[in-house]
Amino acid sequence: MNIFLYLDKGTWIHHLDPRTKIISLLIIFVICLCFNHPLYMSAISLGVMLIAISAKALLNFWRLRFILILLIVFSTVMWPFFTKGATPLWSWGPLHVSRESLLYGIAMGLRLATFVGAGLIFLSTTRNEELTNGLILMGVPYPIAFALSTALRLVPTFAGAGATIIQAQVSRGLDLESGSLFSRIGKFIPQAVPLFIYAIRHTNLLAMALESKGFSPESKRTLYYEPQMHKVDYAVLILLVAILIILLYIRLGLGLGVIITGHM
Amino acid sequence: MSIAISIEDLTFTYRESERPALQNIQGLIEDGTFIVVMGHGGAGKSSLCCTLNGLIPNFFRGKYQGRVLVKGEEVARHKVAEMSRIVGLVLQDFEAQLFSTNVELEMAFGPENHCLPRSEIEHRIQRYLAFVGLERLRQREPATLSGGQKQRLAIGSVLALEPKILVMDEPTTDLDPQGREEVLSIAGRIREEGRMLLVVDHEPETAVWADQVWLMRDGQVVAQGSPTEILLDVPLLKSCGIKPLPLVELFQAIGWPGGPLTVEMAIDLIQKHNLAEHRKLKFTEAPSNHAKGTPMLRADALKYIYPTYQVEVLRGIDLCVWEGEFIAILGQNGSGKTTLAKHFNGLLKPTSGRMLVRGRPTTNYSHRDLARLVGYVFQNPDHQIFSKTVKEEVGFSLKMLGEDPKTVEKRVTEALEVVGLQGYEEKVPFTLTKGERQCVAVASVLAVQPQVIILDEPTTGLDYRHQRNMMEMLKSLNKSGHTVIIITHSMWVAAEYTKRTIVLKDGCILSDGPTRLVFADEALLARASLRPSLLVQLSNWLGTQGLTVDQMVQELKGNEI
Repeated sequence: MNIFLYLDKGTWIHHLDPRTKIISLLIIFVICLCFNHPLYMSAISLGVMLIAISAKALLNFWRLRFILILLIVFSTVMWPFFTKGATPLWSWGPLHVSRESLLYGIAMGLRLATFVGAGLIFLSTTRNEELTNGLILMGVPYPIAFALSTALRLVPTFAGAGATIIQAQVSRGLDLESGSLFSRIGKFIPQAVPLFIYAIRHTNLLAMALESKGFSPESKRTLYYEPQMHKVDYAVLILLVAILIILLYIRLGLGLGVIITGHM
Repeated sequence: MSIAISIEDLTFTYRESERPALQNIQGLIEDGTFIVVMGHGGAGKSSLCCTLNGLIPNFFRGKYQGRVLVKGEEVARHKVAEMSRIVGLVLQDFEAQLFSTNVELEMAFGPENHCLPRSEIEHRIQRYLAFVGLERLRQREPATLSGGQKQRLAIGSVLALEPKILVMDEPTTDLDPQGREEVLSIAGRIREEGRMLLVVDHEPETAVWADQVWLMRDGQVVAQGSPTEILLDVPLLKSCGIKPLPLVELFQAIGWPGGPLTVEMAIDLIQKHNLAEHRKLKFTEAPSNHAKGTPMLRADALKYIYPTYQVEVLRGIDLCVWEGEFIAILGQNGSGKTTLAKHFNGLLKPTSGRMLVRGRPTTNYSHRDLARLVGYVFQNPDHQIFSKTVKEEVGFSLKMLGEDPKTVEKRVTEALEVVGLQGYEEKVPFTLTKGERQCVAVASVLAVQPQVIILDEPTTGLDYRHQRNMMEMLKSLNKSGHTVIIITHSMWVAAEYTKRTIVLKDGCILSDGPTRLVFADEALLARASLRPSLLVQLSNWLGTQGLTVDQMVQELKGNEI
């Protein structure tokens, strides 16, 4: 079963240097923090969506659609209760919802979903090894870069094992569909323990295999996919920095795009 | 010829254990030889492999005595990464070894670690991908490859380091027959290249082609010799928990001269000494569907499409399983065996068509009710074991189904008795051997007393002795009225134990009938990339009914000329 996020499509975004993509991702994160007005925020979300289309990463958005929708719905419902706005809309006992706080909630939902979306584009277009190599070239020590990318790499492997474990326990009569919260936590144990043991065993074998193939974290190594900065990389970075400066001016200089002041 | 490996009185005890895993091992191996190491589970075969590249004592700590010299270098004094320039090690579990995101990066990983220039890496990728026959799959993701391809990639990625010595620890155990042949043919080519090759394997057929065979028992090497010397010594093999070559066993049991290691040799001997006549394979059991009793499972035009990828895995299966049958489901990986079996206990619901259990569609049952009727033992017992004691583990299903503690206790004791683990109630399941853990998994299903028991690869990863125990246990369960269905790659297991065989290919039933009849049609089996065991091939050639050594001995002795 293929549950990896990388999509081997070969678009121009795939061909960008991993360093460009890492920095761009960070810039987009900051851009997402610029506004808390849903209208302005949705413009940014739309921009990220366009990048996703151009990177042919929509398949992954479809795969994770429930998480994305959940993020938006939850923030829209939850945030309004924790922020105060000027125009009251609805209140019940100590709970108040204002027009501004509701809009703020929508903006926060969009922001979270856009965060996830940007990360998703990154993972859909960047191989694990490219991420490692990019981090190494940016000065991250090899053991740390390797640990990070291996952790990312193992998530789908463990998810696959988890699915098998659940099937095995359901076959033995484990009922995951009903029961109180407390009994459901109890049902977690038959799933978690085998997965935990699987993970330990798997990583141990992986370590053996890596050492047997000459892996040693201290020594220098060749990068078979050596990232190279091209003109398009610099262009992308300059463009994103320019956008960031303009947006910061709109927010800080003109004071636009704010629904509730004093919040990010 | 120079010496490749020299092992001098090596004894090793793992830190957490008291008994030595390896005891007074001695051995000299010359360059360019092909060594096959065999032995029962826990005999120390894997430990031996690990001493050759320094994983013992550098990765696994413990008490290490004696010396291992590889190409004159003392292994224990070097780091594993340094040893990787001389010794390549391929592990049994190919899933855990492959972790790159495409085939070429997997191949590049070792040479990258050795800091080779990029042009040299490129050259080696090309050379060794072609060597293992994967050059067309260069951009593929390893997870999407078949088992045989994965193991070939694992071998290729080690070969890319150009080690003078290659060690493979059970490279074929987890593979289907086709994958097994793919890997063995690569072993042949490595040998032609003049590298020293050491392979650990369960199957005596592999050892036929070796220069030297080592037998291990309880941490000791009990015999070293040529294949003919070792393989003809049936009692010695059995004492090491290894399946003797059935042809040798047959010839010795009847008292025929010579010990054939291959079917061709056996046929030659029979013709030369005029030992037996050809006969026509008669078929006595009528393959009709009448009067077989109650139908237990029934698939009607069953189709299944995996929702995420829209792949049609089952393309219209029609099947009826009667009460009390003992069935083997055969087929390559990806032929739909496991998917079909998961319909039997309702883990998967048909995309179209119906799956009936006792005449009622699985969609109308709850998981609990189905769990009472159809038990399913997954391939890897470690996917389900979680309890602190064997007793709790085996009683888990019953507890889930709401039985009272008294019944649970009684049924657990009964189930443990059936699998031969009486007295294990209070033991910690994680500390048991693989064979015992497999038995715990079976017991935990048996405790529910389901009428149908499905086992996915019940003998994989077990040594011969445990395979026999497992199958004998299933045979007696079948005798006591249970319907038993096994999914297996092991052709001799299917031939010796089951009454009916179903062969799947690409999601369709290719063949379904009495086991003897299915195994007689070697051309049909070949279409599913399957080949019967050597004994069955000889039986087919002779036209005998028998599928086991005992049956054939009886038949041939009764009709001796």
